[in-house]
Amino acid sequence: MRGKKMKNTMKGIYKVLLMLGALIVHLSCKSPYIPPASATTVNYLHIEGFINTGSDTTLITLSRTVKLTDSARSKPELNAAVSVVGNDGSNYPLIETGNGNYVYPDFSFLSNSTKQYGLKIVTSDHKTYQSDFVAIKNSPPIDSLNFIGNANGIEIYSNTHDPANNTRYYRWDYKETWQQHSAFESFYVAETSPKDTFVYRTQANQLYNCWVTENSSTLILNSSAKLSKDIITQNPVAFIGSLSPKFSIEYSILVFQYALTSDAFNYWQNLKKNTEQLGSIFDALPSQVQGNIHCTSNPSEPVLGYVSMGLVAKKRLFIGGSSMPRALGAHIPTPYGNCLLDTLYYNNPKTHANDVLRLFTGNPIPLSGLFDPFTGKNLGYTSSTAACSDCRFDGGTNQQPSYWIAKY
Amino acid sequence: MRKIYLLIFSLSFVFKIAYSQEKVANKITVKFEQANIEQFVNALKLKTGYRFFYDPVQFDSLKVTLDVTDKPLENVLEIAFNHTNFHYAIIHQQVFLTKGRVLRPALVSGFFYNTPGGVAAKQVVITNYADENIEKVPEATTENKLYEIGIKTNNIKPGNATIAGYLRDVKSGEPVIGGSIYNPITKTGVATDQYGYYSFTLPRGRHTLTIKGLGMKDTWRKIVLYTDGKLNIELQEQVTSLKEVKISGEKVANVRSVELGVNRLDAKSIKQVPTVFGESDVLRVVLTLPGVQSVGEATTGFNVRGGAADQNLILLNDATVYNPSHFFGFFSAFNSDMVKDIELYKSSIPEKYGGRLSSVLDVTDREGNTKKFTGTAGIGLLTSRLNIEGPIIKDRTSFSFGARTTYSDWLLKFLPEAYKNSSASFYDLNLDISHRIDDKNHIYIAAYFSSDNFKLNSDTAYDYSNRNANIKWKHNFNNKLFGILKVGFDGYQYGVSSTGIPVNGFDLKFGVKQTNVKTDFTYYLNKNNTLDFGLSSIYYSLNPGDFEPKGEASLIVPDVVPAEQATESALYIGNKYDITPNLSVSAGLRYSLYNYLGPQTVDNYAPDLPKTSFNILDSTTYKKGHVVNTYHGPEVRISARYYLSDNTSIKAGYNTLRQYIHLLSNSTAISPIDVYKLSDPNIKPQYGDQLSIGLYKNFKDNTIETSVEAYYKNIKDYLDYKSGAVLLLNQHIEQDVITTKGKAYGIEFLLKKTAGKLNGWMSYTYSRTFLKQDDPNAGETINNGNYYPANYDKPNSVNFTGNYRFSHRFSISLNVIYSTGRPITLPVAKYESAGSERVYYSDRNVYRIPDYFRSDFSMNIEGNHKVHQLTHNSWSIGVYNLTGRANAYSTYFTEQGGVINGYKLSIFAAPIPFVNYNIRF
Repeated sequence: MRGKKMKNTMKGIYKVLLMLGALIVHLSCKSPYIPPASATTVNYLHIEGFINTGSDTTLITLSRTVKLTDSARSKPELNAAVSVVGNDGSNYPLIETGNGNYVYPDFSFLSNSTKQYGLKIVTSDHKTYQSDFVAIKNSPPIDSLNFIGNANGIEIYSNTHDPANNTRYYRWDYKETWQQHSAFESFYVAETSPKDTFVYRTQANQLYNCWVTENSSTLILNSSAKLSKDIITQNPVAFIGSLSPKFSIEYSILVFQYALTSDAFNYWQNLKKNTEQLGSIFDALPSQVQGNIHCTSNPSEPVLGYVSMGLVAKKRLFIGGSSMPRALGAHIPTPYGNCLLDTLYYNNPKTHANDVLRLFTGNPIPLSGLFDPFTGKNLGYTSSTAACSDCRFDGGTNQQPSYWIAKY
Repeated sequence: MRKIYLLIFSLSFVFKIAYSQEKVANKITVKFEQANIEQFVNALKLKTGYRFFYDPVQFDSLKVTLDVTDKPLENVLEIAFNHTNFHYAIIHQQVFLTKGRVLRPALVSGFFYNTPGGVAAKQVVITNYADENIEKVPEATTENKLYEIGIKTNNIKPGNATIAGYLRDVKSGEPVIGGSIYNPITKTGVATDQYGYYSFTLPRGRHTLTIKGLGMKDTWRKIVLYTDGKLNIELQEQVTSLKEVKISGEKVANVRSVELGVNRLDAKSIKQVPTVFGESDVLRVVLTLPGVQSVGEATTGFNVRGGAADQNLILLNDATVYNPSHFFGFFSAFNSDMVKDIELYKSSIPEKYGGRLSSVLDVTDREGNTKKFTGTAGIGLLTSRLNIEGPIIKDRTSFSFGARTTYSDWLLKFLPEAYKNSSASFYDLNLDISHRIDDKNHIYIAAYFSSDNFKLNSDTAYDYSNRNANIKWKHNFNNKLFGILKVGFDGYQYGVSSTGIPVNGFDLKFGVKQTNVKTDFTYYLNKNNTLDFGLSSIYYSLNPGDFEPKGEASLIVPDVVPAEQATESALYIGNKYDITPNLSVSAGLRYSLYNYLGPQTVDNYAPDLPKTSFNILDSTTYKKGHVVNTYHGPEVRISARYYLSDNTSIKAGYNTLRQYIHLLSNSTAISPIDVYKLSDPNIKPQYGDQLSIGLYKNFKDNTIETSVEAYYKNIKDYLDYKSGAVLLLNQHIEQDVITTKGKAYGIEFLLKKTAGKLNGWMSYTYSRTFLKQDDPNAGETINNGNYYPANYDKPNSVNFTGNYRFSHRFSISLNVIYSTGRPITLPVAKYESAGSERVYYSDRNVYRIPDYFRSDFSMNIEGNHKVHQLTHNSWSIGVYNLTGRANAYSTYFTEQGGVINGYKLSIFAAPIPFVNYNIRF
C-alpha cells in the first residue's frame, strides 16, 4: 500500500517537474542598459597605430574620446605634428592625410635597426605627447590558415611558430572580403546625354558582382609563453555564422599577425577584458587601461593607446564552393526576399520620347529589355531599385580586387 | 518491579514469624565462620529478637567471619560490614540491611526552612536516596521532584556551589545548545555551550531554576544544592500549540547576553525562509540578517558590516570551510537537513576565534539521535537529500550521516548564453559521530566532503572540493573546569583541465590545506567570573598553482608556483565578569603569532618604490622550516552589558582582529577558482577594529525582540588590485595587488517576533563602506587617492522574513528584500580602437546599478500529525522572485560588431516556481 502511494507521489513530482520546465523560460536575461549621463566631459587623446617596418605604409590615427551617447565613434584629431623618433635622435615626420590619419610610406629601412623608436605628437593646442621607446619586434610568418565548418558556421584558425622561441606574444587582425551579387542583374545603363537612350552596360560598370571588405572588430590575442616551444596552434581568428551574406559566393580573409612585447600584450589583453569579455557571472571588474603614451606637457592627463613596432606577417585564405555552409546543409535565406521586378513600358513606343526620364525618378535601375515577341520591337525595360540591382548598395565595390582568385 | 514487591512481601512474612519469638538481651555473643547472610541474620534474630529486612540477592556475596563477646547489635553489624558496601539501620527493633546506600532514619536537615539551631548545627553527611549508583549523574526529567545536589549535609553551609551538566532532548538525546538556566531569585543565569554543557554557580540551598531551550518546552527544576555536583536536565520537545506563547532560550539571551551583533537561527527558522528552487539554504538565510549584504543573486558570498567576502570565518562543526558554495554559488555547501543551528558573530567575536576580520559564521550539525534510528529524505527540483541518524550504542554513541546530490544540468539551459552547453554536478557528504566515554569524557568526530564538477560551454573542465575532518575530545575536569582538545584537517582544492587543443592541453591544480590543533578551556571561577582560555595552532600548506601539461601532444611547460607554508598560533584568555547583577563585562585578549616558513624564495624590493619587476633588488632563499618572517600582535575583545530594566539592556563592544590569509579575487562574485595567498614579507596581514554599541528591548513576555546596533570599523592592509591584475599562477602577486585602507559604519534595526501564529523578523540597515588607496609608492592610486565606495557598499537595505501558521499543517512564508544597488564603474567616454568602439571607464565605483528588490513566497504543507506512522511527509511549494523584477546583477559594456552596447545582466529575472517534497522517518 505504502509502496504504491510512494510511486504515485513520484509520478506526481515528475509531472510537476515537466510543467515547471516549461514555465521557467528566462531564469536570467540581459536587457539594454543606458548609463546615467556622465557629469564630466572626458576628452582624451587616443593614438592607434603600428610602426610597420615592412614595405607597407605606416598609418597612425589620432582621435579624441567622445561621449557614449554620441553617434560618432570618435572625433579625429587634426593638424597635429606626428613623427617617429628614435632613441638615437632620428626623426621621421608623418604626413597628415586627413580624418586624423598620419602616414609614412615606407619604414622598411628601419627593419634591421637595433635602435628603439617611439612616437612624438604635438597637437594643434601645443600639447606634447610622447610614447615610450619600443624595440622592433618582427612577427614570424603565418604558417597556415585553415577553417572548420559545420551547419552553424565556419571558424577560421591561424597557425604560426617561431623557431627562435622569441616572439611568444601575438596579436592578429584581419580584412575580410567577400563576393556577393545583387538580386537582379542590370544589362543596361540609362543615359541622358548626348540623348536619352539605353546603352548596354559595360563590364567595368557592372553592378551584379561586388566585393565587400570589412575590418575585424575584435581583439585577437594569443601567447605561447606557457609552452615549451613558441608555437601557436589552431588560434581562432574569426567565426562567421552560416546565415552571413559573406558566404553567398566566395569568401576571402587576409590575416595580419603582429608580434608583441609582454607589456603590449598585457595592454591589449586588458582592453579586451574591459570591452569584450564582460557579461558573465564571474567577470573581472572593469578598470582603466594604461598604455605606453604619455602627455609630457601634462603628466596627469590620461592618454589612450599603445605603440608597437615591427614587421607584420600576413596571409590570405579563400573559402567557397563545397566548403560553404550552404553545401554543409545550412539553409540560407536570400537577402533579397523583398525585391520586386518592375516592368516599365514606353508610353510612346514609337518615339520613346521622354519616357526614359521617368525611369530615373525614384532611382530605379534598368535591367533588361522587353520585346514584342512577334515584331521584336523594344517595348520597354524591366527595372528594380538600387537595393536590389546595384550590389554596391551595401558598401562594396564592383571592381574585382587584384588579388581575387575566382575559384568558385 | 513486581518481582521485588513479591520478594519483600515474602520476606516480611518470614520476618513476621521471626518477630513472634522471644526478645533477648541487648548485648550478644556470636561467632561466625564464613557464614552466609541467612545464617548470619538467623543467628542475630535468635539472639536479639529484632526483625531483619533485607534483599537476599543483594547479600549473596556476603561471607561473615567474626567472633564477638557481649557487644551490642550495632557493634556486631559494624564489624561484619566494615570495609564492605553493606549498611544497616536499626529503628524500633527493626533492622534494615542495605547495599550501597545508607538508610538514615531521620529527616533531612533543611527539609524545613527554619532549622532550629541555625547555621551552627553540626553537619552530617546524608545519603542521596535517588541514586541507584553513586557514579551516575541524576537525569532530572521531572519538574516537581526535588533534586539534591552534592554531598548531603544535615544543614547547609553558607556560600556558593557549582552545578554542571548537560541539557538534552529527552527524545533524541541530542544536546540543547544555547539553552538557558536561570535563577529568578538571584537573577543570574547561564547558557549551555555547543555541547549542551553548562556550569552554574549558585548560593547553596534550595532553588527553582527555570530552563529554556530553543525549540524545547520551557520547564523548571527544583534543587537543593549542598555542594558542587552534577545535574543533567532532559527537556521535552516543544509541540507548539498555535495560541501558546512560545518562550525560547534565545529570546531572553538577546537582552541578557554580553555579546553584541550575534544572531542565532535554528533549523526551523532556516527552513521556513523561501529560497530559490525550494532548497532551504543556510547562507541565504544569513543574508536576511541585518548587516549582511549579498554579493550577488547567484552567489553565496556575503559581506558582513562592510567586510569583504573572504573576511568571514565559516565553520562547520569547528572546521574551516573555504568554499561554502556549490554550483557557481547557487547553493550553499551546507546540507540544511543536517544543520542544527547557525550563529553569526558580527561584532563581539569571542576570543577563541580569530584569523578573519569581519565575522564568524558557526554552523553546527545535529548530533545523532542517541535513542533510535531516524532520518529524512527530500526531493527537490535540483537536489535530493538523505539523512540518517541513530545510536551505535544506545545512549552512548550516535551518528548522523547526510548526503546530497544534484541533477541540475537542466537548469543550466536557462543560464545566460555563456553557460549553454554546460554541465554541472555536485554532491556532499557529512558524517558526525558522538561518543560518550563516561560522564567526564566525550569524543566527537565530524567529517565533511564536498565535490563539484562543471564545464562551462567549453572543453575546459573545472572541479573543486572541500575536505574537512576533525576529532574533539571533551574532558570535564570537575564542575568548574572543562577542556576541549581538537585536532583537525581542513582542505580546499580545485582543478582546471583542458585537452581541447592537444598542444595546449593542461591541468591546473590549486590547494589550500590547514592542520589545526586547538585547546579550549572554560573555567567557572565563581558565580561572577567565567574564564575562557586556550591555545591554538594552524599549519597552513598552500599549493598556489601547479600548471602541468595534459596529454602526449601538449607543449605546456610545467609552471609551479612554489608552495607556501605558515603557522598561525594564538593564545587567548577571556573573562566574563558580572560586576553587579546589572552590569557584566566580557573582556578577552588574543595574542596571535604568524610565521611564514621556508622553503621559500622571497624577492626584496627597493624601499619606498612601487613593487614592480624592475624594483626587485635581489631575492633571499630560505631553507625548509626556517622562519621567513613573523607577524604578531594582540587582539582585544571587549564587550559590556548593562540592564536598564528586566527586558532592556544596553551594550557596547570593541574588538580588533588580524587576518593572515587573503583571498584574491577581482571578479564581481567569488569564483571557485580564486586564489588564496598567505601573508609574506611583501604582503602584510589585514588588520581591523570595530567599535559597536547597541540597545536591546523585548516586549510582550520576550516574544518581541527589538534591537538597534551601530558600529564603526577600520580596516588596514586590505588587498585591492591593480588594473588588469593577473592572480592565477602569478609568482609575484605582490606586484599586482595594492593595499588599501577601509572604513565602514552603519546602524542596524531589528524587530523580531518569535512566537505566535505570525513570526519572523524585519530589519533595516544603513551602512557605508569605503576604501582608500593613497600610497604613492604603490605604483598607481585609485580615484586620486580619495575614499571610494567598496563593491558591496549598499547604504540602505530592508529585509522582511515572515511566517504565518494557519494550522499545524499549513503555513505560508514571505520574504521581501530591498537594497540600494551596488556601486559600479561605468564608462564615461568612448573611442575607436582595433576596429571597434572601446570604452573609457570612470573613476572606480562612482555609479550604482539600479536598486534591488525581490519577494519570495512559499507554502508549507505538512502531512497528518499522527505520531505513530512510519513516515511523516511535507510539501513546500512556492515562487521565488514573485514580482519577476529583473534585478540587475551587473551592467557591462561590450563590443558587438564594432559598436559598444550597454547591457544589464539579470539572474532569475522571472518568477520561479518551485516544489519540494520531504519525508521524515
